[in-house]
Amino acid sequence: MQINFTLNGDPVEIRLKNGDRLLVDVLREDLQLTGTKHGCGIGACGTCTVIVDSLPVASCLQLAALVDGCDVRTIEGLAGSASLHVVQQAFINQAAMQCGICTPGHVMAACALLEKTPAPTDAQIRTSVESVYCRCTGYVRIEAAYREAVALANPARP
Amino acid sequence: MNQRDRNVRPAESLLVVGKDVPRTDAIPKVTGAAQYVADLHMPGMLHAAVLRSPHPHARILDIDTTAAAALPGVKAVITGADTARKKWGCFRPDLYPLAIDKVRYVGDEVAAVAARDPETARAAVDLIKVDYEILPAVLSMDAAIEAGAPLVHDDTEGNIAHHFSFERGDVDGGFKASAVIVEGTWQSARQWHTSLETIGCVAQWTADRVSLWCNTQTPFLARGRYAIALGLPESKVRVVQTEVGGGFGGKSGDDNASVICALLAKKSGKPVKLIHTREEEFLASHPRMPMRYRVRLGFSRDGHIKAKEIKMLADNGAYTGKSQAILGAATVRHDALYKYPCARADSTLVYTNLVPTGAFRGFGNPSADWAVEQCWDLAAEKLGMDVVDLLRLNAVEPGDVSPHNHKITSCELKQCIDLSAHMIGWKKKRALRTPNRGLGIGCSVHVNGRRSFGDWDGSAAIVRINDDGRATIITGEGEIGQGTLTVLRQIAAEELGLPYEDVDITRPDTDVQPYALGALASRVTYVAGNAVQRAAAAALKQLLEAASAQFKLPPDELTVINGEVGPRRGRETDFKPVAAVVRAHIYQPNGQPIIGVGNFDNPSEFPDHSRYGNESGAYNFAAQTAEVEVDRATGRVTVLEIACAVDCGTVIHPAAAEGQVTGAVTQGLGLAVTEYFDWHNGVPTDPNLKDYPLPSAAMMPRIHVAFADSYEPSGPYGAKGLGEIGLDAVPAAIANAIADAVGVRITELPITAEKIYRALHPELFVNEDKSAAATPKGSVWTRLMAGKPSGARPPQAEFIFAKSVDEVVAALAAGDAAIVAGGMSHAVRRERTGFAQAKRLIAVARVPELKELSLDARGVLRANAAVSLQALYDDLSIRKNWQALDEALAAVGIVRLRRMITIGGSLGPLIGGFDLPVALLALNCRATVAGPGGRRVATLPELFEKRITKVEMVIGIEVDPLPAHTGSSFFKYMARNVLEIPTVNTAASVTVDADGICQHARVVVGSVSWKPVILEPRELIGKTFDDALVRRSVQAVRTLAQPMADVRGSVAYKREMAVEFATRALLTAWQRARQS
Repeated sequence: MQINFTLNGDPVEIRLKNGDRLLVDVLREDLQLTGTKHGCGIGACGTCTVIVDSLPVASCLQLAALVDGCDVRTIEGLAGSASLHVVQQAFINQAAMQCGICTPGHVMAACALLEKTPAPTDAQIRTSVESVYCRCTGYVRIEAAYREAVALANPARP
Repeated sequence: MNQRDRNVRPAESLLVVGKDVPRTDAIPKVTGAAQYVADLHMPGMLHAAVLRSPHPHARILDIDTTAAAALPGVKAVITGADTARKKWGCFRPDLYPLAIDKVRYVGDEVAAVAARDPETARAAVDLIKVDYEILPAVLSMDAAIEAGAPLVHDDTEGNIAHHFSFERGDVDGGFKASAVIVEGTWQSARQWHTSLETIGCVAQWTADRVSLWCNTQTPFLARGRYAIALGLPESKVRVVQTEVGGGFGGKSGDDNASVICALLAKKSGKPVKLIHTREEEFLASHPRMPMRYRVRLGFSRDGHIKAKEIKMLADNGAYTGKSQAILGAATVRHDALYKYPCARADSTLVYTNLVPTGAFRGFGNPSADWAVEQCWDLAAEKLGMDVVDLLRLNAVEPGDVSPHNHKITSCELKQCIDLSAHMIGWKKKRALRTPNRGLGIGCSVHVNGRRSFGDWDGSAAIVRINDDGRATIITGEGEIGQGTLTVLRQIAAEELGLPYEDVDITRPDTDVQPYALGALASRVTYVAGNAVQRAAAAALKQLLEAASAQFKLPPDELTVINGEVGPRRGRETDFKPVAAVVRAHIYQPNGQPIIGVGNFDNPSEFPDHSRYGNESGAYNFAAQTAEVEVDRATGRVTVLEIACAVDCGTVIHPAAAEGQVTGAVTQGLGLAVTEYFDWHNGVPTDPNLKDYPLPSAAMMPRIHVAFADSYEPSGPYGAKGLGEIGLDAVPAAIANAIADAVGVRITELPITAEKIYRALHPELFVNEDKSAAATPKGSVWTRLMAGKPSGARPPQAEFIFAKSVDEVVAALAAGDAAIVAGGMSHAVRRERTGFAQAKRLIAVARVPELKELSLDARGVLRANAAVSLQALYDDLSIRKNWQALDEALAAVGIVRLRRMITIGGSLGPLIGGFDLPVALLALNCRATVAGPGGRRVATLPELFEKRITKVEMVIGIEVDPLPAHTGSSFFKYMARNVLEIPTVNTAASVTVDADGICQHARVVVGSVSWKPVILEPRELIGKTFDDALVRRSVQAVRTLAQPMADVRGSVAYKREMAVEFATRALLTAWQRARQS
């Protein structure tokens, strides 16, 4: 079957090899967008998080057929040609990554939260961070990166 | 310049070292550009799948690959017959690339396929037929050493893979002179590295050489071993390190993945990619080695350590890898932590038919600390001393030498103890004594590199200063996330006088860089840092000599500051760019490049068979304190705070260093309380990230980190390693804190709520019926027994977007169809069982009726099947009117999953563990069902009794408003406090009259049977509630519940928890009813 959706602002048209093909496979294999990672296949680790219609989604659980007509954003669509997204800059400033395999998932989850909630509470930040595993950092610097991103996006805020 | 001159520079004069410069790998990692092995693609590349043994021990009688080879798209099938039949392994070669004659654990590699896509490769694996003769298996350490036990390896008598013992000093005399002797037995557990990137490789042959792009931590050591396994000279194998998505010891080249990949690439003549599935990572990587320690310590009356004795047994699994070195570290290392005057040990490594164990961050030390640091805690109690004072009294100091000749150079262990106690508020909290809260402490010592792989623990590096004024570090030491690339650049920049941004670094390629051992034994900062510093010094010397001719000044009167060369006492205008000096030096007749070579070999000794010898040139130290709170009614422990103080010498990159410590602490926390799953007959029944949960952000305690003021003279700028030290003592500190809190001593990892509960309430388990053995229910078990270890994908499925309920019903009636709502259950089932699913998938997301969510004038809630749990939760009327529903929705998974899971998907049959139905059963709720005969209303119990047919579907639910003076509640008890199926979940609704007297009470208990248990206790009617009354009234749940023993608890424990949480639900609902 054929599906159409918007990917990082551009229209795409994909022929699915199989009706149960997953979004993560479409992104990584069919479109060679390997910034989205495949970690567990059961939605537990969240390293495959992408944004579908403004919400963070585990692309390893997302049947590709169901994103027909949706707006999909991946890590590749965040940075402009000359500048990084504030969330990406915040992760760099806080050294919030180690091995980096979960970083795209965390960055996308953070973007989804901050677009909806520009000034999140610590509890909202923790709920968002909770949705993506990290085996390296203990999450301390990832939560700090969320707060840094809020500060970078609102320089006037104290 | 000598070593001393280079090192001793006051910290404030350092420009790059000690600063949080941007990580080298940051931009590629935040943009998704970093290339991990699974991201690599080559023209014509094939995909591999591996057939693994379903039996712990069996003889291979025959392998038939005919059908697999004939499957269209399959390009190569290999078995042991296609290999060099050479055993390989780090210290004790005992592993074949593919099984020859015998398989020795569930997961052992038997055959492999390369095909045009992963689906075809997995399907082909399913077609390979293996005829096994099942042999008796050795499934525990104890079974391994029984007389007449089956032999895991026919050539290894008694299954003893390694043994050593020693006696240093007068141990018997030490015990005789002791006023206080403490002893005990402790056991540690398997822990999987669970890197979020699994092991993988891309292999490609060029004539007779093979290139392996792999995510190994140790490219050169891996190359050496893979060459042996492939029967090739070492230089015919090229290992290129890709980005490594987490290692922790698990990617240090002891597994067969890269070897099999190379063999498939050879046979197919094409590049081949092999990536472990998550399941394979659990079945066939090398987890932490379980060890059993018998410890005995002797002390003088005033608390000085007099003698130590240990006897240890360790589980090697089926193959050895690095295990015998781990056995050594776990036996001797701890003796460099306190001032032991003497020590005796006897350590044995045994083969079992279980997954091979291996290197994991800590390398045996977490197991040693688990035992010995608890024994020290016992000693403090017996001596009547505060344990902090006892440890401080005995802590090693600079100049001390351990019984094994570990020479302690820099050491700030006492400072670490003080810092960690101070950060957690030890004195104040111990004086206050909050009930059920406790504090514990543990210390640890680690090497900085370890002389293990021959008598060289070194690193060589090259620093080239380029004609654009930048420098390049050429080293075979790689990044695995710990910050190597950044730290080595800082050291070189500092030494060269260049800005950090002007120093580049290569990634490991064994064809290019000089020899280096890689990321293991916390060695890179110390060993490679020294090599890079020396290479930079050599390059700087050449640069200044070149500048000498140009400036007409002796080299020692010149210096480099911020990328410019000039006289030491010159004006700013006297300086010129490094680029100009280098260009003038190169571009002249007989011009020479500026290339400095640096070599550093750890100033250590190769230990003898009894492990005597100074393993490392320097040692790092840590002390950890933990504060916990224990719920006596469940045994569940909550870790509130952990404070870790580390002596790693000079801190080169504070942010990365702090990250190493917080990450290590978190893995220690996982080892202690979350990371375990069910085993049956030598196989984990559900090897996935839900049943083996990692610590998530939600369960993180507050972590405090401090670095001791310390300086290691032999380290680069005074630095030592710190990769592992933050993990080792965490489980022991937590166990000591539990003992402090509730007086229960846990001696066997993992620390489970049930173990604590049993110790607190032994009387409840006196007449326990233990006959109900765990029945394997896991999907992998089923699949392995069917001979399908990797799980083939279903055949072509058609996808249909239904527009109306009638269309869905018609499609169901046509047969072989399944409804897809959020899509989650389909995706999970596919991943976990791999079995062919329905041929037609009917999406209901576009049926407008099924998305309806409303509250009518009478207050009835209508929520239809395609409404997500999150959408229902976000509806504020729920919070006001049905608290049980509100609490149940909040308890389901995590927010990302709640957005996928739909009401319809939560109500089908056979899902007794789900939260939503348990809450709905406590309320008055109906479901509307549609089928070929039209629509009907069904009760929820009817749905659970499977009184809904395959051609019917749930349209939605209706929930009535609660009667006046009614309260409801929901509880979910997850013993590990992580994302998983609950041990038990309960919901209740209680109606009272105006005086608070109960008129009606209902409680629902889920997860303890195939369908929820519903009770309406009559003895509560007409009463006001108290704990004892309510508890008595729900005792019937003990007999009605038919729980299965599993990772979430035994049958007896689950029954107790069913009573506990039924009671809590009723009491809470009653209180709410009175307040409403």
